[in-house]
Amino acid sequence: MAEEKTEAQEAKADAAKAAEAQVEVAKAPEPFTGATVTPDLQFVNAIIKGGGESLKKCYQCATCSVVCNLTPADKPFPRKEMINAQWGLKDKLFGNPDIWLCHQCSDCTAYCPRGAKPGEVLNAVRKLSIENYAVPKFLGKAVGSPGALVPLLAIPVVIFLIILAGLGHLNLASIRNEAGEIAYSALLPSLYIDGVFVPVFLFAVVSLLIGVTRYWKDMVQAAGGKPKGSIGSAISATIGEILTHKRFEKCNLTVSRKLAHMLVFFSFIGLAITTAWAIMYLYGPPIMKFMGMEPFGWMLGESPYPLTDPLKWLANISAIALMFGISLVISNRMKNQERAGKGGYYDWLFIYIVFAVMATGILSQLLRLADLSALSYIMYFSHLVVVFFLFAYAPFSKMAHMLYRATAMVFAKAAERDVEVK
Amino acid sequence: MAENKKVLVVGGGISGLTSAVEVAEAGLDAYIVEKNPYLGGRVAQINKYFWKLCPPNCGLEIQFKRIKNSPRVTMYTLAEVANISGEEGNFAVKLKLNPRYVNDKCVGCDECAQACPAYRENDFNFGMNKSKAAYLPHAQAFPFQYVIDANACPKDCMKPCLEACKYNAIDLNMQAETVDLNVGAIVFATGWDPYDTKKLDLLGGGKVKNVITNMMMERLASPDGPTEGKIVRPSDGKEIKNIAFVQCAGSRDENHLPFCSYICCLASLKHAIYIREQYPDAKVKIFYMDIRTPGLYENRFYCKVKDDPKVVFTKGKVANIAEEPSQDVTVVVEDIYGGGKVKETFDMVVLATGMDGAANGSKVGIQIPYADDGLVDDAALKKGMYAVGTMKSPADVARSVQDATAAAIKSIQSVNRR
Repeated sequence: MAEEKTEAQEAKADAAKAAEAQVEVAKAPEPFTGATVTPDLQFVNAIIKGGGESLKKCYQCATCSVVCNLTPADKPFPRKEMINAQWGLKDKLFGNPDIWLCHQCSDCTAYCPRGAKPGEVLNAVRKLSIENYAVPKFLGKAVGSPGALVPLLAIPVVIFLIILAGLGHLNLASIRNEAGEIAYSALLPSLYIDGVFVPVFLFAVVSLLIGVTRYWKDMVQAAGGKPKGSIGSAISATIGEILTHKRFEKCNLTVSRKLAHMLVFFSFIGLAITTAWAIMYLYGPPIMKFMGMEPFGWMLGESPYPLTDPLKWLANISAIALMFGISLVISNRMKNQERAGKGGYYDWLFIYIVFAVMATGILSQLLRLADLSALSYIMYFSHLVVVFFLFAYAPFSKMAHMLYRATAMVFAKAAERDVEVK
Repeated sequence: MAENKKVLVVGGGISGLTSAVEVAEAGLDAYIVEKNPYLGGRVAQINKYFWKLCPPNCGLEIQFKRIKNSPRVTMYTLAEVANISGEEGNFAVKLKLNPRYVNDKCVGCDECAQACPAYRENDFNFGMNKSKAAYLPHAQAFPFQYVIDANACPKDCMKPCLEACKYNAIDLNMQAETVDLNVGAIVFATGWDPYDTKKLDLLGGGKVKNVITNMMMERLASPDGPTEGKIVRPSDGKEIKNIAFVQCAGSRDENHLPFCSYICCLASLKHAIYIREQYPDAKVKIFYMDIRTPGLYENRFYCKVKDDPKVVFTKGKVANIAEEPSQDVTVVVEDIYGGGKVKETFDMVVLATGMDGAANGSKVGIQIPYADDGLVDDAALKKGMYAVGTMKSPADVARSVQDATAAAIKSIQSVNRR
């Protein structure tokens, strides 16, 4: 298999040389050597199924590379990605930072004279790239295929139902904490929640790290060596760019995505801080007692916490930001779909899961405050299911873009692949 | 009503002229309706035909001669079709004739133009210069008769012209008139417009001064053009040291013209020859997606230009054009074989604009049916109506003439079968 690949690569390189020779045929005729390229048709079909159905319309005019404000001037994308995708040359696509340097502004798609939608095609290639590096592989495939949605959702449903049944907590309406309030910690005590989510989180982190490491290695191999620049400064520059969302500003058609993505991004950070904060409330007092100290009074222990607590402020501000952010993501996509393309299942799955996390989270709180016990517990159960979905499948869903794209940006910066036009 | 064996030809370009003379020489009456004050259309604006590079007036003169010799051809210039009704064999056509303010006594002495105090933008030269408001459309105009542009020179302004004319050829009281015709068949030959550069936002949107269209290049190179045939850039008359041609400006693009306009590659190759003949040291760069020169002689023409070491072909479609403070023009393109996105600056850039065949179809008294691609949907045309040449498909002169001849026989068959 490896031999075949290198053969195909050589053949492609020969074909490119032959093509160059053809252009200058008047000056320096060179005989065509008869080299062949072996297209990977399955890969081509996978792109087509994954949202890149317009792939074959591309006729290589290179309008896309010119209108793209994010591409480096040297070997720009997405024109070369389009022909590599048409030939199914996945090694050229995967082992390259370029598919991730693309932020899918869709300026290329809007101006494409053939309706080949390079933005959508690259999006489908990114999906396949996530799938390619995913560990375990079957989950990578499953998250991308609509047929597997029900089983994927069934996993957390079954896990949480078994726990609830084991606790005898299926009689929802009667569950209250000692103060007589609706309390999600009474339904599912923290140890059970953490017993599920800590392993899930670790699994996701390990899986993502393995995937990203393999991606890095492929890029190093394809580039013929490690990038020359400093990785450290590339990382800090990348973090700076991500925090400021500078690259989104370079989009023309979809520049409004900057605000939407920023809201979602920072609300996730806010919610991550909230989670760490809650862990401190929960496990701070016993740990301090264990160490022979008097626990701080502000460590509130088990939830629910009063709305006046700073933790709740951050949590609710983040939730509202997420509500606006993800709604804006959806409305931007609707607004631009004619010119930018409408996106595939993979995109929308991720968007809807984030939306569901936000909606079930906010509703869980509201229903709890309204003292509707059965409804609030059902909502909380749904919230747990979608949060499980978001984290457990993060290495395989579009959520993985955060690490893969960041990795590609670090590699490109270290390799001095600059975005400015010469 | 008695059967009607007359044929109306809408449009007096090379296609329309051909249809009309072919019909007339076969013994039927033909009417030509032309909106311009002259016949000859786009061909009259062209400096040289590819691939023999002979002047197009040769071809036009033959057709004009045939018209002059044929008592069966009636021509209306400055005329529009206001309305068409009826069926095959019996169409009622209403024409609107705009006043020329100059009658048949005109001998073309130029006295009126010399006397005329007002100027007008010269649309024959795509606005690159001005002419007097009393003007001869171009040096070889047929009919060889002056015109007064009443918009540029309202009533009182025309008086010096009237006084200057020794032949009583000026009639300031001319009014727009209507003419009713009955015909058996109609040939539409409304031709094409260069694709509107205002719509090409990536290519300067028609705002960059030294970005011209290929048709403007024809006028610049023509001995009777705005610069008397000297190719210089429009903004400051600077000589050309390096020039770029941007192929597929609007063509092969779903957002504009979805089809290949067929002539633009050959036109740019021809223009490269114009430039290289005038400026032996000038550099020419042609940015293309694919060079399309179908046909034996056409391809030989391409090979000939390619052999010139100062004409460089770069594969890649230009998708960004900007004006420098020096009024030079910068283009950005991905040099596909060279492997990079490059920015290059030129004295002047020529857009190889495509053929917009739908540009005039809405002004012919009926709604011409167009397919999604902007070309005439032949099958949806009413019986007894025929569209020719560039309305149906981008075409060069030879193909247009062939198609116009075919439309002539179709209309003859149509009126005789009844």
